[in-house]
Amino acid sequence: MTPNVQHRFLHVGGKKTQLMTLGAGPPLVYLHSAGGETEAIPFHHKLAEHYTVYAPAHPGFALSEGLNDILDIHDLAWHCVDLFAALELENVPVVGYSLGAWLAVELAILRPQLVSRLGLISAAGLHVEGAPMGELFIDDFDKLRELIFFDPNSAAALETTPSSPDDSRMLMWLRAREATARVGWNPYLHDPKLPRHLHRVTQPTTLVWGRHDKMIPLAHGEYYAEHLPCATLQILEACGHGVPWEKCEEAAALLV
Amino acid sequence: MKFFAFHLMPWDRLPADFAERYDSAWTTVPNSLYDSQHGGQLYNDYLDQLVLADKLGFDGVCVNEHHQNAYGTMPSPNLMASILARQTNNVKIAVVGNALPLYNPPTRVAEEFAMIDCISGGRLIAGLVVGGGPEYYSFSLNPTHARSMYREAFDLVLRCWTETGPFEHYGQHWKLRYVNPWPRPIQQPHPPIWIPGAGSKETIQFVAQRRFAYMGIPYFHLDFFQRNFDLFRDACEKNGYTADPEQLGWLLPIYVAESDEQAWAEYEEHLWYFVRNLLKGLVIFPPGYTSVRSIAGIQRGLQQFMTSCQTRDDIERGGYAIVGSPDTVREKLKTYSQRLGVGNLLGLFQIGTLPHELACKNMTLFAEQVMPKLRAESQR
Repeated sequence: MTPNVQHRFLHVGGKKTQLMTLGAGPPLVYLHSAGGETEAIPFHHKLAEHYTVYAPAHPGFALSEGLNDILDIHDLAWHCVDLFAALELENVPVVGYSLGAWLAVELAILRPQLVSRLGLISAAGLHVEGAPMGELFIDDFDKLRELIFFDPNSAAALETTPSSPDDSRMLMWLRAREATARVGWNPYLHDPKLPRHLHRVTQPTTLVWGRHDKMIPLAHGEYYAEHLPCATLQILEACGHGVPWEKCEEAAALLV
Repeated sequence: MKFFAFHLMPWDRLPADFAERYDSAWTTVPNSLYDSQHGGQLYNDYLDQLVLADKLGFDGVCVNEHHQNAYGTMPSPNLMASILARQTNNVKIAVVGNALPLYNPPTRVAEEFAMIDCISGGRLIAGLVVGGGPEYYSFSLNPTHARSMYREAFDLVLRCWTETGPFEHYGQHWKLRYVNPWPRPIQQPHPPIWIPGAGSKETIQFVAQRRFAYMGIPYFHLDFFQRNFDLFRDACEKNGYTADPEQLGWLLPIYVAESDEQAWAEYEEHLWYFVRNLLKGLVIFPPGYTSVRSIAGIQRGLQQFMTSCQTRDDIERGGYAIVGSPDTVREKLKTYSQRLGVGNLLGLFQIGTLPHELACKNMTLFAEQVMPKLRAESQR
């Protein structure tokens, strides 16, 4: 475990933005998922063995503010542009998970010079005919764990979701749902224009997918792999959508 | 005290093992379960029940809007209200309501409500609502915009009724160059406005400030209504006036029969069909539908929701439904409505699978043996 986990707040384009940093070495930006993993999880620590990991909380997640100014994924991508400027980051590797991976692709289209290479884990962003995404906006945590995890009863699955309405994490959970719905309700977790832009993403790209992803089926990874100019798809067996928890070491090894 | 007959127009033929086989009676409940011939019969029976309410001397009838569900098969309450405008003579016709964000542009609501008001000779009560949680799934409409769309649409509809057109509307969600709805309502400056709420502070403050009427979302424990109605009265005081009881409405299932035993014997299975099948899967608050704190509060409040009831005793103790002989129902309604301080009683006289004949008998007994005394007492 890396000891130097730090949390601070930046003002980015007028938005109070929570930022976690950890590790040492060259910079890497980690863009989190709809679940809002903004506190250090083992997967962050694995990346931090090789990099200084910058893990911002998107507007509306954790203690980051400014959701009123975010109306779609492109507003979120522009916020990332501002954030990179504030941190004086350019030409750095970006790893994104699910919602965050979609955001990473949008960022690479908008400002290619900011991104040296992409690590996309179980990425949202596409509508693939015949491979519908699961329903993320449900209240039933048991069903949610079944959707996300290969083994919904694993310790990892149980610790990532609140256990009851009285769980102290509930407010943050509800904030994360709202911020996700803001950019992902309709069109559902994708950008219909994205396929027409994928040929512009020329950075080396590693796609990491769980074989048994029920939330964003593997067909989405295959579509990305086929249409991104410089991408390889790595498939993890006995794994669902919860890659950073289910295959922490394997996924990190593919991305460092 | 004013008495309204509220109808949900529920689907009464879900399979016996529905609760085991299906996750929800909302949004994704397969419409292959719908039988159109029977649906036509139901609509006509249900309309007859509301016409009967007019003949029996109720003050008003209520219809409301839900989509893609078995709980209330009334995607267009305005169609029903326009029929009632012709087939009734005296009752107020309360449409509670039109879910404003679902109408594009929402000037449609100003138009249709004005039509109903004109046809009925000024008997419309205009419910302007955000829409239930499931509608945001059924319409794929982003619930994180629900509140801001609602506020914009609400102001626009009111402006349609209180200003002459044409005028331009330039808002966040709608940009309309020519707003000029024909017809305009008979009631001036506009029909009475009712707004439902489940206790979020934002809604209570809004309704109190604008001096409209607040209708409690049903199927909660009496204590839950009490807390919200007290909050509403406090909010009115803070806005410099004392709430009129007619600014508050209490909606609940009511069943009257010749005796307590007979009432429960006739009613109980139909009530459980409603609780166990039709309320199943109801997502009250999708993400961003209201503030995170309000959602968290209501989720805790769900322990006081009717779906937590297992027995007849649970129903009676929580006041989730009032069931019994005319004397029993009268006494309970008198006690509870005085305690709650409400001036509008909105009864669901048909619920779940309750057959037409029993619904009519229920309303008739209520109108003849419960309503007159309660009315007389409230006028004292």
